[in-house]
Amino acid sequence: MQQFDVKKIIETSPVVHAQLKESAKWEVINGMNTAVEFAGVAIEGARKKVLGVADISCLQRYGVKGPNATQWLLERGIAIPTTPNSWTTCEQKTLVLRLGSSEFLIEDQLGGSACSRLESDKARAASVYKVPRADAAFIVSGSEALNLFSEICSLDLRDKSLAAKDLIMTQVAGISATVIRQTLNGEPVYRVWCDGTYGPYMWEVLIEIATELGGGAVGLTQYQNS
Amino acid sequence: MKLLTCPMNGTRPLSEFIFGGEYRQAPDQDTCSDAEWAAFVHNRSGAPGDKKEWWYHSPSGTWFIAERNTLTDVVSRTYLAGQNNTTQEEGK
Amino acid sequence: MIFRTPKQTGEWVNRDKKINFTFEGEAFSAFEGDTISSALWAAGQKVLGRSFKYHRARGVLSFANHDVNVLVTDGVDTNMRGDVVTVKEGMALFAVNTKGGVKKDKNSYIDSISPLLPVGFYYKAFHTPRRLFPLWENVIRNAAGLGVVNFNYPRILKRKTHSHCDVLVVGAGPTGLTAALTAAEAGLEVTIVDENRQLGGSLGYNRAADSKSVTQLDGLLSKVASLPNIKVIASAYAAGYYPDHLIPIVGESGINKVRAKAVIVASGAFEQPPVFRYNDLPGVMLGSAAQRLIYRYAVKPFNNGVVVTANDYGYRVALDLLQAGTKIAALVDMRSAGNANSAAELVKRGIKVYAGHCVYEALASSDKLGVRGAVICAYDDKQNVALTDNKFTLECDGISMSAGWAPAGALLYQAGTGMQFDYGVEQFVPSRLPNGMFAAGKVNGIFELEQRVRDGVRAAHDAIRHLGLQAPQNQAEKHVGASPSHPYPMVPHPKGKNFVDFDEDIQIKDFVNAAKEGFDNIELMKRFTTVGMGPSQGKHSNMNAIRILAKIRGLPVEKIGTTTSRPFFHPTPIGHLGGRGFHSHRLTSLHDWHQANGAVFTDIGAWKRAAYYPAAGQSKEDAIQTEALAVRKTAGIIDGSSFGKIEIHGPDAALFLERFFTGEYTDQKVGSCRYVMLLDDSGVIADDGIASRLADDLFYLSIGTSNAAAVYREMQRSQQIWQLNLGLVNVTGAFGAINIAGPAAREILSTLTDFDLSFESFPMSSVRESQVAGVEARMIRVAFVADNGYELHAPMAQIPHIWNALMQAGKKHDLRPFGSDTQRLLRLEMGHPMPGIDTDGLTNPFEIGAEWAIKMNKPYFIGQRSLVILAKRPLRKQLVPFVLADNFKGEMPMDCNLVVDGRNILGRVTSISYSKYIDRCIGFAYVSPDKKEVGSVFQIRTDSGSLVAATVVKSPFIKTLKGA
Repeated sequence: MQQFDVKKIIETSPVVHAQLKESAKWEVINGMNTAVEFAGVAIEGARKKVLGVADISCLQRYGVKGPNATQWLLERGIAIPTTPNSWTTCEQKTLVLRLGSSEFLIEDQLGGSACSRLESDKARAASVYKVPRADAAFIVSGSEALNLFSEICSLDLRDKSLAAKDLIMTQVAGISATVIRQTLNGEPVYRVWCDGTYGPYMWEVLIEIATELGGGAVGLTQYQNS
Repeated sequence: MKLLTCPMNGTRPLSEFIFGGEYRQAPDQDTCSDAEWAAFVHNRSGAPGDKKEWWYHSPSGTWFIAERNTLTDVVSRTYLAGQNNTTQEEGK
Repeated sequence: MIFRTPKQTGEWVNRDKKINFTFEGEAFSAFEGDTISSALWAAGQKVLGRSFKYHRARGVLSFANHDVNVLVTDGVDTNMRGDVVTVKEGMALFAVNTKGGVKKDKNSYIDSISPLLPVGFYYKAFHTPRRLFPLWENVIRNAAGLGVVNFNYPRILKRKTHSHCDVLVVGAGPTGLTAALTAAEAGLEVTIVDENRQLGGSLGYNRAADSKSVTQLDGLLSKVASLPNIKVIASAYAAGYYPDHLIPIVGESGINKVRAKAVIVASGAFEQPPVFRYNDLPGVMLGSAAQRLIYRYAVKPFNNGVVVTANDYGYRVALDLLQAGTKIAALVDMRSAGNANSAAELVKRGIKVYAGHCVYEALASSDKLGVRGAVICAYDDKQNVALTDNKFTLECDGISMSAGWAPAGALLYQAGTGMQFDYGVEQFVPSRLPNGMFAAGKVNGIFELEQRVRDGVRAAHDAIRHLGLQAPQNQAEKHVGASPSHPYPMVPHPKGKNFVDFDEDIQIKDFVNAAKEGFDNIELMKRFTTVGMGPSQGKHSNMNAIRILAKIRGLPVEKIGTTTSRPFFHPTPIGHLGGRGFHSHRLTSLHDWHQANGAVFTDIGAWKRAAYYPAAGQSKEDAIQTEALAVRKTAGIIDGSSFGKIEIHGPDAALFLERFFTGEYTDQKVGSCRYVMLLDDSGVIADDGIASRLADDLFYLSIGTSNAAAVYREMQRSQQIWQLNLGLVNVTGAFGAINIAGPAAREILSTLTDFDLSFESFPMSSVRESQVAGVEARMIRVAFVADNGYELHAPMAQIPHIWNALMQAGKKHDLRPFGSDTQRLLRLEMGHPMPGIDTDGLTNPFEIGAEWAIKMNKPYFIGQRSLVILAKRPLRKQLVPFVLADNFKGEMPMDCNLVVDGRNILGRVTSISYSKYIDRCIGFAYVSPDKKEVGSVFQIRTDSGSLVAATVVKSPFIKTLKGA
């Protein structure tokens, strides 16, 4: 039998198909081949001020649902957002999204370790069901961010309507997505998650509009540093 | 576009929802006659008025019941099945 | 620019910047800010267009986009509205719908034969002889119509955006501006929209030569500008009303869908023309049009005009005309009493005023391109007839017309507002407004300026209270004084040409004729005469049409009613409606591999799937047969990542499956797989798939691609009703799947896993979890496309790694990829009917011989009770596997061809294909139950009508026919 080094298996990004057209710089992050730079730091920095879109699908995620999920996560040191459809952070940067009342998506930012810790816990607990995640995930920021969303989301995402800790499951560009807003390194950003198989479509839509509005693709290091 | 209020996710445009048909109680299949069962499966009342309907909020996967007047198209309340004691006005 | 006046306060043109353009080949100059019409009118060019039907010369009528007299083309855009489109440097413009130019239109002869072309003529004429109809059709199509469609029109994406506000105010006249300010001062977020490029509405032009209103407007505008919670959208129109206050606002750059919590409609009113002979000549225009020309563009409407009025408005227009330097030959008031006070003021200034008179007809200049005079005579205001005994002629080069108004109530109607006719204002006004809708100003029947301002405040207060804040409840006011609209401003004339609808050249007699033909209901009359069906959508014509019909039928106006008002309120370019166009689709993680390897893709649900992989120059049919043969002879591999994949966790998982599907699952062994079939309540087959038991409390379900989302949705609904102890997890997108099948599949797979793949350790219909190529995978042994097949399910991101490892390992076995089209052939060879292909919305399990999949002795499953009923009834049709004759060479039957017996239809073909491996044409078809036995022969009727014999065989085909 052929032997494989599990550590060397490179995962395929859900968004890759849409990024192959761009002359991006690629790197393996969290085991996933990821487009990390699209136009050089200076151009991307300028784009980001107007409208930056970053693909952060490579971040580690862990999903769990069920009547006992809240308890199970608390026992493992994960902070729980107090109300349904809201989010919080724990271990400094790790995002904890509460999807409805009894489903959770935990997302480590670069350097985080909560997901791999939860992943290693293979014991199955009553009324706690693991939800495998393969999200395409994006960060959108800049002065034209709301202008972009006004074309692809019918909800009011302005600060006065979308509270700081609100999480909404809605349709973005016609497909189901989860949206929050966040202050990341002092900068207001929107974060969007959708099913990974829609990732290339979502990326194409976001980049097409962002480019029209004077922004474009930026690498995730513009927002994330481990 | 019409708005509908999902009991879990709040007020959203109708495009986020899928209609799931009228909410109806099936007759006891062990005791009902063939004719009663066939009527349940195949017959619907088209008369306008207050109806209970199944609606599905697609982005979150939430099924709920909406009480809607099919003549005025006004939804009086929405709630999760089995929790119809919690009254909720349709958001405007 | 011989008609340009000295500078007017608040004019919209920038005199410092000249614009050069051409119209019909002639050079013109304009000021920046001029519209096409104002620039031409200023230059003395009065023939701006030709009418749709009779090719009559036309000039300015409403000068407000309420008529389409001036439609021009710049060679790119087809029907530009000259009255409102600003002229740009270098434009080369032509009037549309002319033959030989707007001044010498060769089709103008049609006007002289117009008696031969009454409304509805095309319904009646030209039918016989039939062979000549194409000729007539061609002639008519060439003569009538508007601009020529530009097939090279650039595809320009217009954005469709959403925005939100507390209060949307439609119309930024004095009423709307006041309402917006009142709502904003209460802290509400207000959006105000106006179709004009500057706000103010009539406050900007209805001045009666007094500049007070300009000061008032400036005051309102500076207040609006000072409030950050008012968003102003100019040059855009609120195009329709959709439920729960969604209003699309159409502007140059696209459509903005505004979701408001309350809507104040202050959209004003359209001025309506009085109807007299030759009221359409260039130079005859509405009073408000004359005012707009003067104050917006500093253009004198004419040198020496007659003002005809049927309300008090004309007196104001007269003062404005005088201010602009126009001489007034006379003011003619159709009302018997006229307005003594206003008349006295004019008389003081030397102007003749004739009360109780009408313009009997306008006189055309010799070239028929303008006005040379007006025939005036007494008018019986009660009987609505001209008394021509003492008629006289006044020389003039223009006529200003004021007769009344029609509410711009499209949005109110669309929102379901109840309207009633108010005889105090001779107008339909709202009587019952829907929740959150408010009307104010002229559309609400309030015309006097101070009253309108108060009405704006009143409506805003109502809206504020509707939104749960405190505000006074002001009494709604009623109009006082003379009616702003005349009840019947029509002047009959034996020679006609008294136009009601200028878009469609419709005269009074056309209505009379329509009524004679029996089309005397407003909706029928609209369709027979086509009144209101032109691009103006009745803005300047519907009200007069209603009045005329009321008169013909001897009914009060409110009994006639109005026609239905539909969105969009104004013609909207298709590019705007189309928007960017979002076409969402799902891709598997192998998409790039498929693309790199020449796959042809097909859409299945939201997915793009590889259908087959043709080699260079290879036909689809050959590619499919080659791929299928590889699976039969060596091995093939397919990306099944789009399959529906659902996990059912929890102690009640098996119980749930037993209720949801037709089979038994409580006794299913861990590590084994069972077939699942889903029915609906009526016992019709909805879908099928495979349930793999991974643990006592965990099943892994795989189902077809196209129905997966719907099946998961139904599982969620059932769980909400049943409240079992379990959790459903949809892993369709999180997991990918690969199916490797064929005689060599096991050997290839064995090089990538140390799991014992022997048939003893891993028998058919079982599931194992193990590493494959270093990745944790679920392996399912299925016989869907071949007896020897393995489905490998693993996280989507790791699927390409497994796939590449398999392709590498399979090289020496000539492992080939196959696509979803090939899969359909393979499963047919295997004799598997597919729900949705071999079944339809009426097929029950008995009809496809699936009794084996149904366990009736369970307490409950979806569709069970209906099967009890169906089982008692004789079968009506039966799905059978069939073959065509060996070496069949005739016309190949297709899917959905009928199975016939003489003239009787027995069923239809659901799947049919040639199988190269079996070297036979095989398929499934529904037949009558008497033909279901093996060996029965039935006839298939092909597309061309020939009959092909088919023989029922035993399935699976590969066993029966190949002994495989």
